[in-house]
Amino acid sequence: MSISEFVDGPFWYFSAGVFVIGVLWRLIGMLAMGTKTDYSAPRASAASGAIGINITRFFPRRDFWSRIKLQVVAGYLFHVGLFALLFFAAPHIEFYRERVLGFGWPALPEWAFIVFAEIAFLGLLLLILHRMMHPVTRMISSRGDYIGSILLFLVMLTGCLALARSHESLRILHFFLAELLLLYFPFSALMHTFTFPFSRGFMGAHYGRRGVKV
Amino acid sequence: MAIDMNVFRGFAEQIKMLPQMAKPTDCPENQRVQHAQSIFADRLDASNATHLESCVHCGLCAEACQFYIETEDPALTPIHKLDLLKRYYRREKSPMRWLHRLIEADITEADLEATQFLVYESCTECGRCGLVCPMGIDIASMVHITREGLAHAGLIPAGLRAVEQEQGSHGTVFGVGPEQLRQVADELRAKGHEVPIDKEKADILVLSSTIDILLFKDVLEATVKVMNHLGVDWTIHTCAFEGANFGLLSGYSRVQKLASERITKQAIALDAKLVIVPECGHAYPAMRWAGANAHGGPLPFEVMAISEFLGREVMEGRLQLSKIGAEKHVTYHDPCKIGRHGGVFDEPRAVLEALGVDLSEMPNNKAANFCCGGGAGLFVMEKAEPMRNAAFDLKRRQVEATGADSVVTACGSCRINLMAGAGRTQWATPIESLVELVGANLK
Repeated sequence: MSISEFVDGPFWYFSAGVFVIGVLWRLIGMLAMGTKTDYSAPRASAASGAIGINITRFFPRRDFWSRIKLQVVAGYLFHVGLFALLFFAAPHIEFYRERVLGFGWPALPEWAFIVFAEIAFLGLLLLILHRMMHPVTRMISSRGDYIGSILLFLVMLTGCLALARSHESLRILHFFLAELLLLYFPFSALMHTFTFPFSRGFMGAHYGRRGVKV
Repeated sequence: MAIDMNVFRGFAEQIKMLPQMAKPTDCPENQRVQHAQSIFADRLDASNATHLESCVHCGLCAEACQFYIETEDPALTPIHKLDLLKRYYRREKSPMRWLHRLIEADITEADLEATQFLVYESCTECGRCGLVCPMGIDIASMVHITREGLAHAGLIPAGLRAVEQEQGSHGTVFGVGPEQLRQVADELRAKGHEVPIDKEKADILVLSSTIDILLFKDVLEATVKVMNHLGVDWTIHTCAFEGANFGLLSGYSRVQKLASERITKQAIALDAKLVIVPECGHAYPAMRWAGANAHGGPLPFEVMAISEFLGREVMEGRLQLSKIGAEKHVTYHDPCKIGRHGGVFDEPRAVLEALGVDLSEMPNNKAANFCCGGGAGLFVMEKAEPMRNAAFDLKRRQVEATGADSVVTACGSCRINLMAGAGRTQWATPIESLVELVGANLK
């Protein structure tokens, strides 16, 4: 079996399996811990609070803007760019159609791919630099945060290099790194991709029943 | 509304003496870790789990914390205060605990001791950090769980422990018990007020607090005036008048339950429909939110903060007030535990509107309000003084930005901390009580 066959075959199934099982294991494990009954009389709806915060928390409060604008802008650049690349880059859609879902959807034109890739790179680099340079993030960051960021950076970089599809080896390298990322994902803070609606929801419910919009 | 500053200074001196009054903890040193872990195991649920699993270490919480903003000390970053709890969670409760047990050390007594300053003296559990977190992590609630763990491990700071022990063993706070309440009631009767103490049945049970009995007697007098003016069936009870709950502040659940159940049982015995919590920030969540859970079921009465009650009476037309007039320019300080943690924002403002004063909001107000710096018991913790001072300096700038001539609030602890800061910095702006303003302007 060649490296190419290994990466496209068994290693893909293994990494995808670890990703799916790991994510479900962690999510179900968290939620299965349950919550205690709160006997206090609610002032307002917990459900509205949980739903509301999942929308409002995408927009930082004016009260904090002057102190957090760099992280917010960098965060949005990275996440919007990554989302566009992950779900609207032509090779990715082709991959989902062929290997995962069996159907596809319209892709971004190549110029848009390049714009979103630049946006994502700019955001990720700003976030990594902020993590390394700001005294707070430098202190609270773990090795895992850097591993996740570097893996993402390498996946994006090799993805851009493979875009021209002139070298099969670049595509294999990109796919291999993406598989490493899938393997790492359930064990890392990258899980926030799936946990954030629950985390926000629990907080929104807690404050919502107290009549506080957070 | 004059406050006897000699009494105020005496109270401050009494607070400084508290550490010497603390008795040794009943938790054996070799069982501290075990005690803390048993509390963590009991308290951590799906809500905390999703919060602890979602942090991406972005550090934004620091930018909302008054203590970090003022000191720029990264060690005060709110999420950093949860490192101990996080470590326990990852090793013992997390779905990936089998992995974390291989790569992370268990918590030690030294870890507990290192966390004490972070969760007691440098956090008021104000909850402002939760507003900025993109993941919606409720850090304040988990700081409280950490406090509970430390409390059961015998690591409550001495000053706070002294008051918690007093309330737990004698039911008094700063030596104030039924006798002191009766004395104050007699003083109020001598001024011509009817004070219905210890009625057998009443629709409303009004609570007070040590601070009002020792220091802010005018607040208690104003409360009595308002209740009598409204003509409601009310009482204050010598067996259950203390709203302050040092079990909640310290994290010691046995004393927390003891204090809140004393009130709950008395309210039930009275057939009370409403319990009114005094101007005491944490007394509100202790009864309004935690009271039912300590009781083990829904409370058969309503619980309201006095500011909330006054606002409701004004808004529903039962309480008319004389206009003070717009020449009185004030700003309103929302006590965190009543505002951000309680949802009481509109009611005190309705009262101020009824009083006709010129209200200017601080740059950060209502849910985003900055804490006074003395909340969650910091006002009785010696080592917290630099934190309290830092918070006051920030608060002072916020107040000065409004141009207001006075600060109105509805929490005795906030008043004490702001007054202490004003005394330290020779700041002349008065710190006023909402209830006192109402009591002085009944129509």
